[in-house]
Amino acid sequence: MSNIDYTIEPEVVEGKPSHSAVNDAIAKPLETKPTWKYYIALGISSTLLLIGAVCLGYSFYYGIGLWGNNQPVGWAVPIVNFVFWVGIGHAGTLISAILFLFRQRWRTGIARFAEAMTIFAVITAGLFPLIHTGRPWLAGYLFPLPNQHHLWVNFTSPLIWDVFAVSTYLTVSFVFWYIGLIPDLAMLRDRTTSKIKKVIYSIFSLGWRHSNRHWNHYEMIYLILAGFATPLVLSVHTIVSFDFAVSILPGWHTTIFPPYFVAGAVFSGFAMVQNVLIIVRKIFNLEHIITLDTLEKMNKVMLATGMMVGYAYGVEFFIAWYSGNPLESFVFLNRAFGNYAWAYWIMVSCNVIFTQLFWFKKIRRSIVPMFIIGVLVNVGMWFERFVIVVTTLSKDFLPSNWDYYKPTLVDIGILLGSFGLFFTLVILFIRSLPVVSISEVKAVIKGSQPGHH
Amino acid sequence: MDRKYWKSVEELKFPAKSQMLKQTEFPSDIKEEFDPNKLKGLSRRKFLAISAATVAVATTACKNYRDKGAIVPYNQKPENVLPGKANYYSSTCTGCANHCGILIKTREGRPIKVDGNPDHPGNKGKICATGQAAILNLYDPERYKKSYVRRNNTLQEVGFTAVYSDLIRAVTEASSHGKEISIISKPIFSPSFAKILNEFQQKYPTTKIYTYEFLEPYAKEKAWEELYPNTPMLEVDFSKAKVILSIESNFLATEGSFIKNIREFVANRNVDNAKEFNRFYAIESDFTLTGANADYRIPLNPSQFTTFLASLINEIVTQHSGKLVNTSVPVSKLNAKFSGFNLEDFARQNGIKFSSLQSIVSDLLENQGKSAVVTGDSVPYEVHYLGFLLNEILGNTKCYRIAPKPVLPNNRVVDFVALSEKMKSGQVGLVINLDCNPVFHFSKDIDLANAFSKVSYVFTMAESQNETAEHSTHILPISHNFESWGDFYNGWGLYSLAQPVIEPLYETYQKESIILSLVDGKMIYDNYHKYLQNFWQNEIYPKSNSGVAFEQFWFSVLHDGVFKLEQIEPQPLVCNYQSLDKIAINPQETSWTLIVKKPYFIGDGRFANNPWLLELPHPITKVTWDNYLAISETEAKSLALNSGDFVEVQADGKKLEAPVFIVPGIATKTLAIEAGFGRKVTGAIGENVGFDPIALLSKENFSNGYVLTNVKIQKLNRKYQLASTVEHHSLNDTFVKDLHKSRHIIQEGTVEEYLNGKFKIHRVEEKLSIIPEIKYTGVKWAMAIDLNKCIGCGACISACNVENNVPVVGKDQVMRGREMQWIRVDTYFSGTPDNPEVSLQPMLCQHCDDAPCENVCPVVATNHSPDGLNQMVYNRCVGTRYCSNNCPYKVRRFNFYDFRDHFANGFFYQDSLRLLNNPEVTVRSRGVMEKCTFCIQRITEARQNALAEGRELKGSDVKTACQEACPADAIIFGDMHDKESEVYYWRNHKLGYFVLEELNIKPNVTYIAKLRNKKQEDKA
Repeated sequence: MSNIDYTIEPEVVEGKPSHSAVNDAIAKPLETKPTWKYYIALGISSTLLLIGAVCLGYSFYYGIGLWGNNQPVGWAVPIVNFVFWVGIGHAGTLISAILFLFRQRWRTGIARFAEAMTIFAVITAGLFPLIHTGRPWLAGYLFPLPNQHHLWVNFTSPLIWDVFAVSTYLTVSFVFWYIGLIPDLAMLRDRTTSKIKKVIYSIFSLGWRHSNRHWNHYEMIYLILAGFATPLVLSVHTIVSFDFAVSILPGWHTTIFPPYFVAGAVFSGFAMVQNVLIIVRKIFNLEHIITLDTLEKMNKVMLATGMMVGYAYGVEFFIAWYSGNPLESFVFLNRAFGNYAWAYWIMVSCNVIFTQLFWFKKIRRSIVPMFIIGVLVNVGMWFERFVIVVTTLSKDFLPSNWDYYKPTLVDIGILLGSFGLFFTLVILFIRSLPVVSISEVKAVIKGSQPGHH
Repeated sequence: MDRKYWKSVEELKFPAKSQMLKQTEFPSDIKEEFDPNKLKGLSRRKFLAISAATVAVATTACKNYRDKGAIVPYNQKPENVLPGKANYYSSTCTGCANHCGILIKTREGRPIKVDGNPDHPGNKGKICATGQAAILNLYDPERYKKSYVRRNNTLQEVGFTAVYSDLIRAVTEASSHGKEISIISKPIFSPSFAKILNEFQQKYPTTKIYTYEFLEPYAKEKAWEELYPNTPMLEVDFSKAKVILSIESNFLATEGSFIKNIREFVANRNVDNAKEFNRFYAIESDFTLTGANADYRIPLNPSQFTTFLASLINEIVTQHSGKLVNTSVPVSKLNAKFSGFNLEDFARQNGIKFSSLQSIVSDLLENQGKSAVVTGDSVPYEVHYLGFLLNEILGNTKCYRIAPKPVLPNNRVVDFVALSEKMKSGQVGLVINLDCNPVFHFSKDIDLANAFSKVSYVFTMAESQNETAEHSTHILPISHNFESWGDFYNGWGLYSLAQPVIEPLYETYQKESIILSLVDGKMIYDNYHKYLQNFWQNEIYPKSNSGVAFEQFWFSVLHDGVFKLEQIEPQPLVCNYQSLDKIAINPQETSWTLIVKKPYFIGDGRFANNPWLLELPHPITKVTWDNYLAISETEAKSLALNSGDFVEVQADGKKLEAPVFIVPGIATKTLAIEAGFGRKVTGAIGENVGFDPIALLSKENFSNGYVLTNVKIQKLNRKYQLASTVEHHSLNDTFVKDLHKSRHIIQEGTVEEYLNGKFKIHRVEEKLSIIPEIKYTGVKWAMAIDLNKCIGCGACISACNVENNVPVVGKDQVMRGREMQWIRVDTYFSGTPDNPEVSLQPMLCQHCDDAPCENVCPVVATNHSPDGLNQMVYNRCVGTRYCSNNCPYKVRRFNFYDFRDHFANGFFYQDSLRLLNNPEVTVRSRGVMEKCTFCIQRITEARQNALAEGRELKGSDVKTACQEACPADAIIFGDMHDKESEVYYWRNHKLGYFVLEELNIKPNVTYIAKLRNKKQEDKA
């Protein structure tokens, strides 16, 4: 421990592989036939997707009465899912854009994957505001499109802000991700022997010739996009939190929500990236590129954001007491000790208590414990949104309004379906595009940088 | 050369005639004088004219409601029908014995709404929740549409004439064999029908008529008869009573002339005349709505009622005899009779504070002649007797008025027991059940079901299936009240008429028509109408001295709906104190007691297939779609019971399995259950609804009160789901205790505090807003609800349902918390679980100026109108439910399904029910939000009328449906900018407050804080 020289950044890629070895390692999944394990994984995820699709079909046909929502709990599991998946989508852009601006070279191994997950998570999340409405066939009303009614949307509604925030985030993340893919697609184009693939790669690599001029433009636009994406990381979840903070309900109407939501989003996003990458690096033998050091760094981020989230939990209670507002203190006491106390304590234990184990370096660097903690963090973060959305609504101002909410099987089916959609997209992605940015990894291999000789 | 050609022999032989025929073969024109009618025989023209007319008549005139032809405009406008304009017809409600006057609103010939007839002196324009919803029974798709005959134990659908000819045969057979013809009916209030029955009896002398009322308080009549022999029974006029002591009476909700009672009771609850507030003590075992409105409510086991009243009388005649104003009271006799009963001992034995009983005594003594003791319909004979006696002692007989009484006196239960025996021994040849359900209504030991099977002909005339029809040989469908003629006499000089407002929807006749035709031998559709007119011409018109021709008189009565012949005053009462010797008053041990009560909304069970009424929340517990055994929290704990646990109750060998429901304030060792539920033979809606407590009763109960002592309770290992619209929690739960008070949702004081200025409304003075204030000019709508007057009867909910096409969701959806009613009455309990206090509060959209629902809607589907309404645009709504989340009152309702389709397999999409909808109100589709609109359709209509008449719209032009229905006139609606208006007055009243004022969303419903008429010394 003591002989580490902190003035020198440790290598982010282990073993100094040659450029062609990097090419081979990363392009291998794209150039070989998948094994039966791949099909099993795809089968499981697409089954989940199908369950979700069937449940949604039912809901479209019969009405969303098939869900558990009631008066007063107008929003429940679908909105919980929405916030959860938007949160998952936060790690990607944070890693690729913010860490890029901060010149964190360890991000190169995970950036591509994290970004792809961002896009998939936002796609998954974006479905929910549309399908959760009573009349989803009229979801077009939510967009400011010219229409025969000569009606405009209501710009004071946070749901409209959501529409803009999420669609902007999705667009920018996608462009950023695609720009980063261009050099890799060109490399794949040059490698492939299949004619069909060649055509596809040729189209999508936009005539990239690895020329200096190309690299010059590329670096410029990548930097600009990173700068552009950075505020979005903060804005999306801030605006999602406005859905709640702008309302008048005690428990929702709090100023702490934007930072609290962003921290929570990064927290859960990192947990999801860590989880998936642990599997990917193992299966595709990328342990030298997505190194244990990288995973440890992610765990540290989770430890930090987890404590931010825990701090927010504490502050909410403190302010409920300090403000002297009896409605506010009732809501928080009700969360901790009321009907939904079980959800609250799942949330606290998963998000605050278990993550404390990351103080131990041994746990930060052991695959199985960190994987389990990552899973728990996502469970905890799902329940955080459940606690915020459901407990607040279920007991509000007038005691005569109160009612208990129970999700139905259809609710659970749609939740499973959202996981199915996400993982199906992830599984298709790992066989069709390079999961690690080849060009960026090459740049961080020891010896690639300009040096004395 | 000059050859003549001929074409026929005739032409050759009669050339002149042929020439003439040739010329007239095609007459050039038809002369004016031409008249086909003058032609001999059936001319071609006449034939064509007749056949054209036949086709025309066949294709147009014979059309009825069931036809689905093309929609064509009226070629000739029917008289008094203007499309788009409602017509109102006065009539009489036959839902219960009160026979309230009603106004039926029809649109394009179909009834869509019922309200009280303001000209009726009894109900003065108000009717109950049941009366409001009774219109659904007219369109009930499960009504009998055909007649039925039972052959080989199965019902066969046949034409009306087949059953009718069987009926004629049965009548002649029975009378020729000298066998009895038993006519069983609900109470008969119709003088003309009574006459028809009389004529029927004359024609068929073996006829006997049996009338009864479900759960009739025979014990009460018996007690009255003992105390005041040969005097018609009187009831309390609550407007005269300054102090009311009620013993298990639900006089504000189910008993007596309750609509009248409500009006008279709240007349003495005017905050601007707070000194004149009445004081109301309720002693009861069940938690009734009436008890919820009491200033003091003392829970007491029913077995202790007699002891209580005896001790009370003893206290008055021994301790305070000097104070008695009524000098005719035989004090010494009473002393002797009641000396064994001591009020202080009674208080100690039953754990009641003696001081609270003393305050009853002092209040009653101070208000002699101005107070009233009321006993409930379910209690035993002795309790009624002592109640009447107490009124006599205190001189309260001045507060009595004539009680409604049927034209034919009702039979006692002994008559039905005898009838059952006669049927079994074969003495009865024919039974005719007239719109009643005795098999369900009477206890099983009278055994009517079995007795019917011994009779060769049992005819049941009913609107829809019931238990009695199930045991009949023939079923004749009868017309709904809205399809029928009728007249009613209420016993105190008032006549009212019922008139049909729609052609019978199905092949039905009214029961009067059928019986009449048996008398005169002619079965004509309109026979009773003519009979009724003749009856009035001969019997009533001569007495009226109206000075106009009969026709004019008749139409004016028909127009008004009521005709007051004379004011009948009660006879002076002469109390028979001798009867005291006959009555035995024995103190009873407090044992487990079960009390059977009348239901709030489903009448005698006849409305048990009406989904609107089944979904109306119970006024106290908010349970829908079921009844249950109410039990106190303490007793439930002692038996380890939770709400919904099944128990088996045993009384005298009879058993009932029903779930319990924990209700605070039920007396110790008491179970209370409402009857009328648990119908076995109803339609699809009423199936499996509730439990039938009549199973526990025996014939003795029908003559001596519906209280069962010494019942045994055993917990069963089963659970039942009761659907309540609110969450229930223990009153001991300190976490949520009295939140309604600490959050200033309910603000209450006492009369005393208010009068001496100590009671002040909690107001939020400091209000900041970042939103620019919107200025309103012109009419701006607002509502005020006087919580002193609101007694929580639920008529507003029912009226709103009918007016606004509010869907029924069904029990499963109520359990999910998705009921759709736009207005609800919140019940808040405070105090201890054993003796709680109830606060009631109608809650509806508050139409906030800065409505929190509006700014969060992403598509502007909810917005504000220039006259201050919070509007809902159904077409634009995508159903994000954000508005509902952000509504602090949670008064928005979401269509989670197309409930019309979802409920009972598309019940509300059946043909007949489509006629029920108010055409002025959009039927909402699945996935949209809805809520109270302040009856915008009525506002629009009033505005149109004002425009047409060229005047300004005034706030008083509009009445909302809930306001119109409220029997207590607790709801005031109007223009808050009109300084003359009532709503302006109440909005600025010092007792007015807004719920959740601190949110500064500027609600527009003002609540007038409730004052309780407590005595000062209790304020500790």
